[in-house]
Amino acid sequence: MADGVDFEGLVTCHYQPLYQFAFSLTRDEADACDLTQQTFCIWAAKGHQLRDETKVKTWLFTTLHREFLGARRKQVRFPHVELEQAAAELPVVSPTPLHQLDNAQVLAALAHLDEIYRAPVALFYLQDYSYLEIAGILEVPIGTVKSRLARGLDRLHQLLTGGSAIGSTAPRTDL
Amino acid sequence: MNRDEAKNILLLYRPGTADDADPQIAEALALAQRDVELARWFGEHCARQEVLRAKLRQIPVPAGLKEQIISEQAARRKDFDWRRLPALAAIAAAVVVSFVLITPWLQSLKSDNTLAVYQNRMVGTALRTYVMDLATNNSGSIRAYLGQNHAPADYVLPAPLEKVAVTGCAIESWQGMKVSMICFSTGKPLAPGEQGDLWLFVVDRAAVKNTPSAGPPRLARVNQLMTAVWTQGDKLYLLGTQGDEQTLRRYL
Repeated sequence: MADGVDFEGLVTCHYQPLYQFAFSLTRDEADACDLTQQTFCIWAAKGHQLRDETKVKTWLFTTLHREFLGARRKQVRFPHVELEQAAAELPVVSPTPLHQLDNAQVLAALAHLDEIYRAPVALFYLQDYSYLEIAGILEVPIGTVKSRLARGLDRLHQLLTGGSAIGSTAPRTDL
Repeated sequence: MNRDEAKNILLLYRPGTADDADPQIAEALALAQRDVELARWFGEHCARQEVLRAKLRQIPVPAGLKEQIISEQAARRKDFDWRRLPALAAIAAAVVVSFVLITPWLQSLKSDNTLAVYQNRMVGTALRTYVMDLATNNSGSIRAYLGQNHAPADYVLPAPLEKVAVTGCAIESWQGMKVSMICFSTGKPLAPGEQGDLWLFVVDRAAVKNTPSAGPPRLARVNQLMTAVWTQGDKLYLLGTQGDEQTLRRYL
């Protein structure tokens, strides 16, 4: 049981990566803060049910992702699009060498990815999670994770540089 | 395995991780050692992965988030100590009449919409880098904006607070209700990026449990802010600033 996990220590260890994951999903600071906070609230209420303490981190990421999907479903029912959010839907502009891009451009490209690719790609880069762990967090089969990652990474690369990561659709000019 | 197949497989490879334990990746890596063109592509690919990974990991985490999470949890725990639940349940089971009597009390303790949680949430909003919906020094414009957007606009300011310059407002959300956040600048130099140093939150009183009855403001430190809470009419007011009790009393 994870009863013995110290709440403050748990927050200290995990709030930053959780926030970064939340931000990569929502691209909104307030929403990401709320998602992170909500995740720890759920931990405080239900975390004692977790039997294996080594799974705490995965549990937190899974919970955050579930909360995101839940909130997203509500937003889809009552869509509210602001100009700043709509801007994220616009195509990323001219191809740029990767090392010249700033964080905001990378995040904008990530936000432009279809939602089913965004979460695995974020986990892939932010946490170095294995495919099996990503599959566990997102609650999908490992084969699905791999195919979503492959498509997501290729699409992300196209958005950032104008060429495919595989290199078959456009010549490599980046880096 | 040919070169294109190897590229597809290596697309998911991250240098410095356990990815090379995957048999398919190991096979593709072996091919990259023999194939010059694949090796060149792979070198570029690894560099790209590093750049993307580094950029995404630079997402800044708002200052005060950790403290906010911890203090909100502490406030919840204060409102409801779960360790007492078995004892309360035992008493309730043994004495049915007592159970009936304390049920409403238990329900009020269980809910998340208590004053302590509200205070923590609003203080957290003020401490984070919030975005003002309307930036203006005109208090009339603020009332008009809040009114148009169905947020509390008919608030009554304490006389000293009337004299403080407003800088704008935002509409926050609490339990599905709109909260008017009015930002003031007391005249002290503001840190870069800050849009105010005194914040007033106004919400419908019914949206928060355990609100104080009419009377003088209650002062308490919440997270990094000194706060004052009071009710007037059907509104609950929360004023917060960095500083001590004396500093805050100047605006009440």
